Amino acid sequence: MAPNVTGAYRPKQQFPWGKILAWMAMALLLFVTLFPFWWVLRTALTAPRAVFQNTGSLLPVQTTLINFQRVLGLVDPQTAIAMGGSGQAINFARALINSIIVSGLVVVGQTTFCAMAAYAFARLRFPFRNGLFTLYISALMVPAIVTTIPNFILVRQLGWLNTFAGIVAPTFLMTPFAVFFLRQFFLGVNREVEEAAYIDGASVWLVFWRVVVPITVPALTTLAIVTLINTWNSYLWPLIVGSDESVRVLTVALGIFRSQTPQGAPDWTGLMAGTTLAIIPTFLIFVLLGRRILDSIQFTGFK
Amino acid sequence: MNRRISLWMALTFALSLILSACGGSPPGTASAPSADTGGAATSDEVVTITYWLWDANQLPAYQQCADDFMEANPNIKVELVQSGWGDYWNNLQTGMVAGTAPDVFTNHLAKYPEFAAKGQLVDIQPFVEADGVDLSVYIGDLAELWARDGKRYGLPKDWDTIAIVYNQEALDAAGVTLEELNNATWDPESGGTFGELIARLTVDENGNNGLSPDFDPSRVKQYGLIINGAGEAYGQTEWSWLAASTGWRHIDELYATKYNFDDPRFIATIQWLADMMQKGYIMPLQQVTSLGGSAAFNSGLGALHANGSWMIGEFANNATFPFGFARLPQGPEGRKSMFNGLADSIWTGTQHVNEAWQWVKYAASKDCADTVGEFGVVFPAQQSGVDKAIAAFQAKGLDVSAFTEQALEPGGTFLFPITDHASEITAIMSPVMESILLGQVDAASALPEANAQINALFQQ
Amino acid sequence: MARPRRRLGRESLTAFLFVLPSLIGFITFFAVPAVRGLWISFTNWDLLRPAQFIGLGNYARLLQDGEFWNALTVTIYYVLLNIPLQTVLAMVIAVMMHRLTDSVVIKGLLILPWLMPPVVVGLIWLWILDPNLGILNVALKSLGLPAVAFLGLPQWAMPSIAMINIWQYVGYTALLIFAGLQSIPPSVYEAASIDGASESQMFWKVTVPLLRPVLVFVLVTSVIGSFQIFDTIAITTKGGPVNATKVLNWYIYEQAFSRFNMGYATTISIVLFLILIVVSLIQMRLLRAGESDL
Repeated sequence: MAPNVTGAYRPKQQFPWGKILAWMAMALLLFVTLFPFWWVLRTALTAPRAVFQNTGSLLPVQTTLINFQRVLGLVDPQTAIAMGGSGQAINFARALINSIIVSGLVVVGQTTFCAMAAYAFARLRFPFRNGLFTLYISALMVPAIVTTIPNFILVRQLGWLNTFAGIVAPTFLMTPFAVFFLRQFFLGVNREVEEAAYIDGASVWLVFWRVVVPITVPALTTLAIVTLINTWNSYLWPLIVGSDESVRVLTVALGIFRSQTPQGAPDWTGLMAGTTLAIIPTFLIFVLLGRRILDSIQFTGFK
Repeated sequence: MNRRISLWMALTFALSLILSACGGSPPGTASAPSADTGGAATSDEVVTITYWLWDANQLPAYQQCADDFMEANPNIKVELVQSGWGDYWNNLQTGMVAGTAPDVFTNHLAKYPEFAAKGQLVDIQPFVEADGVDLSVYIGDLAELWARDGKRYGLPKDWDTIAIVYNQEALDAAGVTLEELNNATWDPESGGTFGELIARLTVDENGNNGLSPDFDPSRVKQYGLIINGAGEAYGQTEWSWLAASTGWRHIDELYATKYNFDDPRFIATIQWLADMMQKGYIMPLQQVTSLGGSAAFNSGLGALHANGSWMIGEFANNATFPFGFARLPQGPEGRKSMFNGLADSIWTGTQHVNEAWQWVKYAASKDCADTVGEFGVVFPAQQSGVDKAIAAFQAKGLDVSAFTEQALEPGGTFLFPITDHASEITAIMSPVMESILLGQVDAASALPEANAQINALFQQ
Repeated sequence: MARPRRRLGRESLTAFLFVLPSLIGFITFFAVPAVRGLWISFTNWDLLRPAQFIGLGNYARLLQDGEFWNALTVTIYYVLLNIPLQTVLAMVIAVMMHRLTDSVVIKGLLILPWLMPPVVVGLIWLWILDPNLGILNVALKSLGLPAVAFLGLPQWAMPSIAMINIWQYVGYTALLIFAGLQSIPPSVYEAASIDGASESQMFWKVTVPLLRPVLVFVLVTSVIGSFQIFDTIAITTKGGPVNATKVLNWYIYEQAFSRFNMGYATTISIVLFLILIVVSLIQMRLLRAGESDL
């Protein structure tokens, strides 16, 4: 041991103050992380008018489920307004289904097509390979807002506004990040298995699907999960191309619910009920895929 | 490798140029139909008209109008869509660009000149003439607000004025009578009796009112007055009623090309507000912005609150204490309220302009005005509807004469300032008004500069 | 190469088929829009009427536009508030986790905010930070402190937005760093401790250099992300008060979709693109990305 003065006198069985302090910091961290979620639920369960009273109460005030009923449109607007709400409702089931459709399409499409492209960039020889890849990479730096506006115009010209096609189009076939990420991964995969298959006379196609994909499942899952979360959470693009109720996703539905009568107060209890509903699916995904998500995040750090 | 990159770039570039050339330049008027494309539907064909509005409180009333209209016109179906004020205009503009805007929508005086200039609003003057619509039934100048250069972009549905909402309990606690409040005077130099009332009605956490030497402006429990915010360029509920009572006006005439935000009377008014906020008598801007003035008032954080007649129902539904409406204070030039009104406009992209016109006409008719009046949410643009609204409010125990008397008083109202460049003007004025009310700059130094910027917009 | 000889032409064809779907996506939704954006930036298009070519007019306007320079300053201010604090905090949390626990539950809870849509996060904090009714101010007041209008005062608004985003992303960043920590072989530390290195020496001389690849990833992605902050501001402050949170992305959005200046909006976004390229290049250079110290 180094001649550390305090260390030298510290007997091994001494009370582990450092650890306790660290655990307390961890507890505080968890509290700060989780408290806002409780506050959402607490507000959602509070009666609309009681929200201005007992603002410091940690428990719901005049506990009620009415906000959820209002948000889901189970109460007619007139009654909802009379109760102090906004009279607005979210077609929650519709928005949830829309979110699932949009995210599902993007995850499947993007993962498949980007894996194919990434494999070609990593393994196959073809003209302009490096040039094309450089172009892809340079697109990584184009801010979303640059392409958002022209893409909006394009989607309009295609007649795809307020369709699922319009919402998924820009990310369905590729994102530069996905190609880049998977190519890096494929580069790191041992070639020997592939070579053996090629020697057996297998086609590139067969090798890709039967050999490469199975051994790169972790990378593909990681990409799928990151894509899922990004797509599920996206707001601006679906807002401008798909605000129609038939294709409106959850985030957009919530954003629309937020806006109120001019100069009226936000309908906090209703909003928090809507927020709770919007959190639930993400939370379920999290509970089901928790460990996978964690692995994926840790994985992205090491491309 | 480098040569390859440049080759690819050149190829992609060329390809994209071709593509964008094929894609064509943005269609400007491609979607705008001529009046005859929306020809009358045959009797058995049902045409659907989409109608947008932003005020959730009015939704039930207009749903009733639409139901009545559809019963009388079985070949037209009206679909109502409500979205909040903030998203409403963004959605509308995106919709116009996208070709998905509604056939008919509730329009605002601040917005319509810009839409008209960009060719988005159907000129309904020919329809008005063909159907012989009597424009004199509309109160005051409401109908004329929607006309410009012989064209007409909407038929008035309602009007609004501003009044002071008071918390009865707060008044009682301070010993202020309604009569005192109704007769309050105001001027930007001394603040008048209105300024004094505000101070008297302000209470800090120790129970001292604003006139007490021990008053602590950093710990105010109840503000004397709450206004809705900084008011952007119009200050409809926030400051227009104060500034106008000095004789000041935003502009000198409709469609003026010059604003008066550099006028000393206006500067003095805004500075007075800013000072009152600094002194803790009027709820500071930063506290109002997130919650909104009406919610702050409804939760008992203020004794007085200036707001528009369209909010009457909001207070009735949400205030947790007895409240009432008082007259605006009397300024050097009397009591002045902005007189504003909404109208329905037809979008030029509609496929069914005739059916859309039928609905616009009905929504501005006496029948619909009466229906809306009976719901007691806003004052319809026709007298019979106003009477019904007053009765409906009375039935709810609300005396709304502070709003109606203001409207009837000779010279008691001034019109909403309508000019071009509204969105640019708002973008210039909003931060300036905010920084003045937050006490960051003096009105006298900030406003003349902003005004010069605004006036320069009209020189381009 | 040990690969059996196959005709290059055939391989090229296969490769082309593999790349084709992504190429279609790339050309249609990245390359062409980018070029098109460049073209729009030379016009005065308002989306509704035909565009007119105005050359460099928008770029000239940009140089004199106080709102643009304000937006740029505000954006940089946000990045400077957000990145150092978030990275340091994440580092601390990661080290703490590394010492204390590998619990999946704790790690999971810490990344929960990251999973939430920014729209939801914005709403949650808008409510918590409300100056009159928000729980944070109620708590401050009960401690005898004055209430703070976190999102209503120009000097507080941007720090509050940064705080909200740190809350959302710090757990995620910490987890990335944590994974990096775990990948450092214990033998390295053992060797260092035999050499008599102190705790802080070990951290600076061993941990940080070995974490470089992860830190580069974290920094480059989070800086690029921070420059493009939008959702949180759209939900909470909408650029106010007094333009204190009017970041570039919000200004672009406002110009494009509420002020009808599509041409000008595109110009600003092109400039943002150039800024991002420069920032990324500088970062890569400074951090010597790709090099590992192992």
